[in-house]
Amino acid sequence: MNIRKLAWKNLFRRKSRAVFTGLGIFLGIGTFVALASLTAQMEQAVQDKLDRFGANILITPRTEQLSLGFGDISLGGTQVAHSRLTAADEKAIHGIEMKERLRSVVPFFLTAADASGKNLVWMGVPATEIAAARPWWKISGSPIREKGEVLLGSEAAVALEKGPGGTVVSGGRAFRVAGVLHPTGEKEDGMVIAALGDVRSVAGNPGGVTFFEVAALCKDCPVEDIVAQIGGALPGARVSAIRQVVESRKAAVDQFRRLGIGVSAIVLAIGGLMVFVTVMGSVQERTREIGVLRAVGFRRKAILSLLFWETGWISLLSSASGALAGLAAALLVAPHFGVEQASVATSPALLGVAIGMGLGLLGTIPPARRAAALSPTEAIRSL
Amino acid sequence: MDAFIRLENVTMLYGNNGTSAVALREVSFSVGAGEYVAITGESGAGKSTLLAILGGLQVPSSGAVLMKGVDLSSLPADGLADFRRETIGFIFQAYHLLPYLTARENVMVPMSPLRTSAREKAGRADTLLASVGLSGKEERLPSELSGGECQRVAIARALVHDPPVLLADEPTGNLDSSTGEQILDLFSGLHKSGKTVLMVTHNRANLFRATRSIRLQDGKVAEDDPLMAPRQAL
Repeated sequence: MNIRKLAWKNLFRRKSRAVFTGLGIFLGIGTFVALASLTAQMEQAVQDKLDRFGANILITPRTEQLSLGFGDISLGGTQVAHSRLTAADEKAIHGIEMKERLRSVVPFFLTAADASGKNLVWMGVPATEIAAARPWWKISGSPIREKGEVLLGSEAAVALEKGPGGTVVSGGRAFRVAGVLHPTGEKEDGMVIAALGDVRSVAGNPGGVTFFEVAALCKDCPVEDIVAQIGGALPGARVSAIRQVVESRKAAVDQFRRLGIGVSAIVLAIGGLMVFVTVMGSVQERTREIGVLRAVGFRRKAILSLLFWETGWISLLSSASGALAGLAAALLVAPHFGVEQASVATSPALLGVAIGMGLGLLGTIPPARRAAALSPTEAIRSL
Repeated sequence: MDAFIRLENVTMLYGNNGTSAVALREVSFSVGAGEYVAITGESGAGKSTLLAILGGLQVPSSGAVLMKGVDLSSLPADGLADFRRETIGFIFQAYHLLPYLTARENVMVPMSPLRTSAREKAGRADTLLASVGLSGKEERLPSELSGGECQRVAIARALVHDPPVLLADEPTGNLDSSTGEQILDLFSGLHKSGKTVLMVTHNRANLFRATRSIRLQDGKVAEDDPLMAPRQAL
């Protein structure tokens, strides 16, 4: 017989009380772990979805503004490109150190060319990348599926008086209109969008690239580092983060994280209170025997040790089972909250067990101290 | 006989805010080593309070209690606990056994904080249970034992540290006369083995076994008769 065994035996004697005390911890920690795990997964899901929503880095040729004039007479200015981007640059971009953070690198090629007798801007983009590069586009008809098809911006469709199924002719070549974009309010509204190879052939510029759009995975948003590495790989290019996109994503994720922390904190506070009250009641009931133990020579430290072992056992068992239940609950409900690939988040579970133990032991301090300070006679009288 | 226990003007007041009740009034007496003292008195005379003060369970409002030359009021709470463990064995009227522990485990409880091996503790408990006639009942819970057997377990528990002093508060109060006699036989045996016994009792038969009787009345020592005077004492 030692203090630990005495505590363990007492738990078995008061099974219902032990279960009730443990239930408070179980529910508190279970809810905390479920919420923390779910919000962590949801945060990741939101992050992934935001990352999929367009690019956050733009790569254009480095240009210089030249002012044109003679003496005091100004004739405006022009931009002079120091170098041009080429298809080969894509390989260089994929060769940077943080290449695993690059979700997509999409080359765009722009040119002004004839379209059924009207001079319009043609935008070439790999047909397979359009959905990823412009996920917000809404199309009447269908997207480009193969070479020889075009999408018309809403204004271009009006100017050409063409719709899905129509034909646009350029350089003696006919392109089928696969679909028409809904108005976007952007420059695309006046453009003809086609597969990259088609636009390059219309312009007679095979391998030409006007700019690259890069979608970098924004977890922890190391965009500046990625920008610097791409800049190093393409010294003739101007690489810039689309700051608004980066900041808004960070803000959205931070907001979600704060919500998760706030809800978890409230649940934890309520759980903590439950633990405190139940442990307090349990220890209070336990004080009846403390007089006897004091009378037979238990020191205060031994009484404290006994009570801490009791709540320690309960806290460990119930917080561990609560954490497991919380993880299971999070896994079960995660798909209903937009998490496509639910996973086991061990950090919230471990934190939950630690918090459960902490709350249980913390809740024991005031009643245990009172019990230890109780006069043996007073305690014995209550028996 | 040298004083083993000495009370000097012990007064105990209960209550506060001006509504105090006096449990003991300037009680003074000495007890020599190996004495068997029966403490008697009517209900409310202060017997149990006296026993609690003697055992260091309660601190008197004034006065001093010296045991083996140690002033109990000078000891801190843990010092008193150590002193109780080493010097005093308590036996209560209601046994106060822990209901979820077997007889053996109940006897082992006072040894719980010690670092002695479990086998050694169990061996000591079994020896003591055998000495009070409970061989073969070591594994029984208090609910499976009779009142007399429970009190025997409580006596074995009180003896676990081999204390020189036994304080018993109405140890036969919950027992029938025949079982009570058996318990008193045990006390007589312990007294003969050299223990100092102080017993609060209403049991007339017990007064004949004691070597001294102290009668309390209204918190004062009304009689202190080493020659025994059971009729007056009751």
